[in-house]
Amino acid sequence: MKNIILSMAASILFLAACNNETKKKETTDSISATTVDTASKSQQNSPIHNIIRAYLQLKNALAKDNDKDAASSGKALEAALAGFDKSSLTAEKAKLYEDIATDAKEHAEHIGANVGNIKHQREHFETLSQDIYDLVKGFGAGQKLYVDHCPMYNENKGANWISESKDISNPYLGQSMPTCGTVKEELQ
Amino acid sequence: MSGIKKILLGLLVILIMIQFIHPARNKSGQGMPNDISKMVAMPGDVRGILKKACYDCHSNNTDYPWYTYIQPMHWFMNYHIQSGKEELNFNEFGAYTPRRQQSKLRSIENSLKDGSMPLSSYTLIHRNAILSEAEKSLIINWVQTSKDSFKKESLTNP
Repeated sequence: MKNIILSMAASILFLAACNNETKKKETTDSISATTVDTASKSQQNSPIHNIIRAYLQLKNALAKDNDKDAASSGKALEAALAGFDKSSLTAEKAKLYEDIATDAKEHAEHIGANVGNIKHQREHFETLSQDIYDLVKGFGAGQKLYVDHCPMYNENKGANWISESKDISNPYLGQSMPTCGTVKEELQ
Repeated sequence: MSGIKKILLGLLVILIMIQFIHPARNKSGQGMPNDISKMVAMPGDVRGILKKACYDCHSNNTDYPWYTYIQPMHWFMNYHIQSGKEELNFNEFGAYTPRRQQSKLRSIENSLKDGSMPLSSYTLIHRNAILSEAEKSLIINWVQTSKDSFKKESLTNP
């Protein structure tokens, strides 16, 4: 009997140890993701500058076909969306933010969780880009931004994204067609 | 007894003990005021497909297969149901904001096209949840119609 109890304890410990390890890994992962590029604080005159910066990082990672950087930017974006301070907003603006951010957070989370599946990351990026566009419309960009359009993505259905530079760098088709697309609109 | 034998025996005892622990089952039986079928017309064939291939994890009512009565299978299933409902719950669809409804419909379409849903680990055992190309395009067409009708609705009463 004693033997059985002892060996049960041993197996439980063994199982618990495995669990612990995965948890620890997750926390260090999220810490490193949130500290990505906090150094460049050039554009701060918009309340959502952190969100825009993380989105642009994500866009640039996708344009380079880099799923790993896309995932870490996705996590940084998720953190920026969650960390946004709504206390100074009017009730109406807070509601607008909540509506957009709830959706955007889900997309950012999926992008963060899909290393190795850049196709899936891009699908979420497409809807996310609409959310970011609406956020910029509602809260201002604080910098010059361009709305770009790629007519070929998704079996020629087309898709939009937001860029900080006038030159086209396509996040949907990546390095296979880096300059496909046109500027549709300029945001300030 | 050797060490390995002891650990195996310990695991066996744990396996027997967990048979007595079961999480609550995902069966609501309540009326569903926020069900997606209350918002958009859902033809019988669409409903049938969704029910057999999606609702086990994406609704408030799961049709439990026999093996989930054996632990730890029930825990695995429970985990799938929880994360599935968190992503998308057809019974709660009406409670989402119009933005999320559009987003979810788009994701349904994408995951069917990519073949990421229904999960292959699920269809491995639920063979009848494997969707034929015809069934997939039926759902995709229905999703596209629904997307348009929701869009019109959210424009008329924002």
